[in-house]
Amino acid sequence: MALTKLKNWALRKSLWVYHVNAGACNNCDIEVLDLLTPRYDIERFGMLLVGSPRHADVLAVTGTCTRQAMPRVQEVYMQTPRPCVVMAIGSCALAQGIFAESYHMGPKVDEAIRAVDPEAIIMYVPGCPPKPEAMISAAVKAMEFLKQL
Amino acid sequence: MSIAPSGTEVALTGPVGQVIASLGSAVVEVEFCDERRGMARIDPVRTVEVASTMLAMDGARLVTATGLEVRDGIDVLYHWAVEPAGIVVTLKALATRPGLELDSVANVVPAADWIEREMHDLLGANFPGHPDMRRLILDDSWPEGVYPLRKGFDQVTDRPALPPNRTPPDVLTPQEAPPGPGTAGQIKHPGKTMINIGPFHPLQEEAEFFQLYVDGETVVDVDVRISYNHRGIEKLDESKTFDQVPFVVERVCGICSASHPLAYVQAVEEIAHVEVPERALYLRTIVNELERLHSHLLWVGLAGHFLGYNTVFMWAWKYREPVMDVLEIATGSRVTYANCKIGGVRRDMTDEQLAQIDKAVTELQGPMEMITNVVLDDPVLHARLKKVGVLSAADAKAYGATGPTARGSDVPIDVRRDDPYAAYDRLDWKVITAPGGDVFGKAVVRLLENFEAVKIIKQCCAHLRGTKGEIDAKVEAIPPGEGVGHVEAPRGETFHYVRSDGSNRPVRHKIRAPSFVNVPTFKASCIGLQVPDVAITLASVDPCYSCTERLCSVVDAENPHRRLGFKELVKLSQEKTRKMRKEW
Repeated sequence: MALTKLKNWALRKSLWVYHVNAGACNNCDIEVLDLLTPRYDIERFGMLLVGSPRHADVLAVTGTCTRQAMPRVQEVYMQTPRPCVVMAIGSCALAQGIFAESYHMGPKVDEAIRAVDPEAIIMYVPGCPPKPEAMISAAVKAMEFLKQL
Repeated sequence: MSIAPSGTEVALTGPVGQVIASLGSAVVEVEFCDERRGMARIDPVRTVEVASTMLAMDGARLVTATGLEVRDGIDVLYHWAVEPAGIVVTLKALATRPGLELDSVANVVPAADWIEREMHDLLGANFPGHPDMRRLILDDSWPEGVYPLRKGFDQVTDRPALPPNRTPPDVLTPQEAPPGPGTAGQIKHPGKTMINIGPFHPLQEEAEFFQLYVDGETVVDVDVRISYNHRGIEKLDESKTFDQVPFVVERVCGICSASHPLAYVQAVEEIAHVEVPERALYLRTIVNELERLHSHLLWVGLAGHFLGYNTVFMWAWKYREPVMDVLEIATGSRVTYANCKIGGVRRDMTDEQLAQIDKAVTELQGPMEMITNVVLDDPVLHARLKKVGVLSAADAKAYGATGPTARGSDVPIDVRRDDPYAAYDRLDWKVITAPGGDVFGKAVVRLLENFEAVKIIKQCCAHLRGTKGEIDAKVEAIPPGEGVGHVEAPRGETFHYVRSDGSNRPVRHKIRAPSFVNVPTFKASCIGLQVPDVAITLASVDPCYSCTERLCSVVDAENPHRRLGFKELVKLSQEKTRKMRKEW
């Protein structure tokens, strides 16, 4: 119990984000990267893009989750310390968007992750691609959500 | 182009006629020939001979090949471009059932390597003699003998079962590797140290999996596995109407989202013989050049980051924002513009919008000059980038490299000049090339192209301001026929081939993005390099790397416990710059 409290306390500020491209067209990805640069500067919220899922509190998943990406996305999720927030960014990560009918689609991102962890915390950022402002708003909501845990 | 009925004699005229005539008796039938496009059927047993004759021709390069299922087998269409004449000649060879075999041309034309593997994956065509026929496009768990681009395959109902959850990672020792067609786990040179980059990795447009084999600090071979990003767009397009396809193809790549739809609509306009209104041509030019500006600035920033110049990264992206703003003002979205349609454009631009675009690009010139001077005058960058990752002009031609990757090797090809589209032939601008073929050359090309883009945009704005005009040719039906369209995207030539049977959907839509030919040039440019130089060389062809950090590890084949992450690779790269800076 005390350990859970400690974990949740540690998640209140300075979320670290690991970015996973699960088969995206790059639109969402350049907008995620844009958040780091002077105009949007998401680091003012203490957020940081990190190089390993083992350091991450948030997984920013973009893309459709293709058949080839699916097991790898699940592997990345399992390497992330829980509790973590999966942020599904863009129409593709939500419901595979315009590519839903294609033969090379795996399950949707949330289904792929729930298959390995039914308790996963998943939030959705709609848009094709979502504007950087929408992503900042999502990040702030994630922080507020984690405070309530 | 609409095809003459079988048996009609087509006169071989102009440069296209010369090209086809030079193939002699290998040509069985000429289907089409005009000033810039040609189509001929060749003897299917002489594909290798034809390919070597074509490659030996001045300025000829293999753009790509399209596989297409027809009644008697699989038609393979080799698209050859000849520059600077700006012509595209399509040579067709039929692989007949049941063997579906054509001799591989990959041994004489390296550019055919990947495309033959792709046709084998998606259509089941066989290319005996191919040096490396492993799976390329489809995922590891895809069953053998199921070919998604065949007409009998339904993309929704015929999908094979999904791979099991959390299948083993890509990096395996030879003993652990499961038998199967995928490259995952296959190790080409056991005993050499292997560096795995990917599959989630910041350098690539698509999640890709690179394996570098190193001997000490020197790279001896490069291997690559793609498929992570394969979304089956070509099959998807066959289920969309001609008017819906632009919305799909602008999501091929988010950074080339103006170029792909334009190449597609040009291919369709070629089938339907559409005369696009002049105003629409200028509007297309503006959006495409704004895209080039934001894409090149993006590259400069990320290249700076990989070399440890984070200031360049922040500056370049800061000055990129006004470009995104005007794109949003003019088209409604920062990255997916949806402005291109068959016969013209969807939205006009008002004088006020044009003035805003003009102002934004004018104000960009100062900062761009500053960034350019910072890069070009820095002695450390000279030391770090010159003679690194050299792609010779001959290799660029053999691999079919395009765009800044080719122009950095002093190969002066540019679709905008060679085969003019939109309004490029009415404007004053020049093709930028740089000698050397090294990373520095490619950087110089991109930096200087930015200034040309500004020049082009300003001329277009000046031309359009205060005038009004039609922006749409109102195309109603697409007749049967075949068309090719190519556009100079920021990364190089993007090529689309469309075939129509007179219905409201394309029968076949082939897309060849520039990275498909530029990525394999790593094989020529990375070998012999030191490990810290690889990150920037991989980045130098600008495969739209998406984000800063993903999975990457260096594994010693003899000692699997020694691992270096991508972070360490970038650190190695940044440290090398720092060391050099001290020496200066």
